[in-house]
Amino acid sequence: MKELDELLLPENLRYAEDHEWISETAPFRIGISDFAQDQLGDLTFVELPEVGAVFAKGDEFGALESTKSVSPLYIPVDGKVTAINAAVRDDPGKVNEDPYGDGWLIEIEPSDPAEIGKMMDRAAYKKRLEESPR
Amino acid sequence: MYYGGETELRRTVLHSRHRELGAKLVDFGGWEMPLWYRAGAVKEHMAVVTAAGLFDTSHMDVVHVGGSGARAFLDRAFTRDISTLQPGRAGYGAFLGQNGDCIDDAIVYPIEEGRWSVVVNAGMGPEIARHLRGLPGSPAEIGEPAERATKIDLQGPKAQEILAMILPDPAALFEKLPYFSFKGDFDFSKSAVRLRNGVPALLSRTGYTGELGFEIFLPLDRAGPVWDELLALGGEKGLLPCGLAARDSLRTGAALALSHRDIGHWPYVNHPWRFALPYSSDGAFTKDFVGRAALEKAAPSARHTLAFAGYDPRRVEPADATALVGGKPAGMVTTIVTDMAIGRIGGGIVSIASPDRPEGWMPHGLACGFVRVDAHLSPGSIIVLKDGRREIEVEIRDEIRPNRTARRKLALNELP
Repeated sequence: MKELDELLLPENLRYAEDHEWISETAPFRIGISDFAQDQLGDLTFVELPEVGAVFAKGDEFGALESTKSVSPLYIPVDGKVTAINAAVRDDPGKVNEDPYGDGWLIEIEPSDPAEIGKMMDRAAYKKRLEESPR
Repeated sequence: MYYGGETELRRTVLHSRHRELGAKLVDFGGWEMPLWYRAGAVKEHMAVVTAAGLFDTSHMDVVHVGGSGARAFLDRAFTRDISTLQPGRAGYGAFLGQNGDCIDDAIVYPIEEGRWSVVVNAGMGPEIARHLRGLPGSPAEIGEPAERATKIDLQGPKAQEILAMILPDPAALFEKLPYFSFKGDFDFSKSAVRLRNGVPALLSRTGYTGELGFEIFLPLDRAGPVWDELLALGGEKGLLPCGLAARDSLRTGAALALSHRDIGHWPYVNHPWRFALPYSSDGAFTKDFVGRAALEKAAPSARHTLAFAGYDPRRVEPADATALVGGKPAGMVTTIVTDMAIGRIGGGIVSIASPDRPEGWMPHGLACGFVRVDAHLSPGSIIVLKDGRREIEVEIRDEIRPNRTARRKLALNELP
């Protein structure tokens, strides 16, 4: 298991309480953080929505199954799905290996891009993990 | 499923090694044990199916049963007929209450006439010892063994060649060591089995993965270097240290029961582990044992535990899931995992280790496990498992992962 200072937490991303990340600028990609993939362990299945699906902030947009559990994915801002990463359906291990790169999950068109700026930045998310590593 | 409270956890003598190997540690039966190591549970599972894996299973308990009447007593206390089990052979079965419920499953080892060792699950030693002492005719000696052992499981098709590298005379040791036999002694001072560096051991041709392998019992103070040596020598053959997650998915794919989940405080009957009960060919019991009368009474109405496999890796949450037969709720899911080493080709199940798998084929994994349902279902029956999230179709099966190697004959020539 990774120690907190071993976790990759890129700049230019915003982070959600439930460990999803979203790009600060278009294209607005969503994935899960290095912390989340490390906690879940090896993924065995990735369930993603259809392109065109519309979600409100906090809606479940899919699920990640690891050898340990089935974990819902929550959308961090209102938006419409414009693309999905079909490659992670075929090889869920990509999410473990490269959670911010090849392991991205979906792209959305946010209803209000300004909402993204209200999410945690790298420093705030790191602090959140230090205070409550769950 | 593995998590417990934050109370003081027991640690095995290999604990510092698990930390150094980057293990994620969890509470399992009061022990702090590796859930997986750096490679992750999927690679660990694959390693055991295609090469080999190394497990610290020192959390399991050993109960010593000694005295002149030990054989007759254990034969009556245990579901398996062990009346003729010879020293050097091991027997799998269960201890039942008078009500037919399963207290725990176990492997019994006759070391010599009048001296038996019983290996039970983590933390179950005291309860099984108490249960045995309470039965009529219990022999004088029931309790902890003279010394607590470390147990290391080396499992996988390459387990034999890896073990051979730490044995002084591999050919002699592997001779006459079929599945469910052992050499050595739990009293290590008396053990004739020595590893290459003089470490006394008990070597058992058993395991919990469905693959070829050994359970190696070692003195506490000698186990660390053996673990290190096996990992160092086995690494080039693909050996990985493996945690509880891989252990759970491997045993499920091999259709083996987990005590207190797939078997437990309900009648120990109508399940896939018929070999653990003394059935004759006409389905009657051939010997008397504690719980027999209750089982015979319960059998016509008791629920049926059945193995299943799905069609893709998707699972349901077992705690929230219902098994639907013909659309109607019919029972529960006791275990569900994803065996990542298998997939479906043309309806049948193929493993990454199947000789007839298509070239370059990589499985995506299949959900599999056990259900406990109201009625018996024949292999091939399709049922639905439903939780709050989804419904998945699964097929009732006798076997799950094909081409397992547990029973493979050991090679006696061409050893490294």
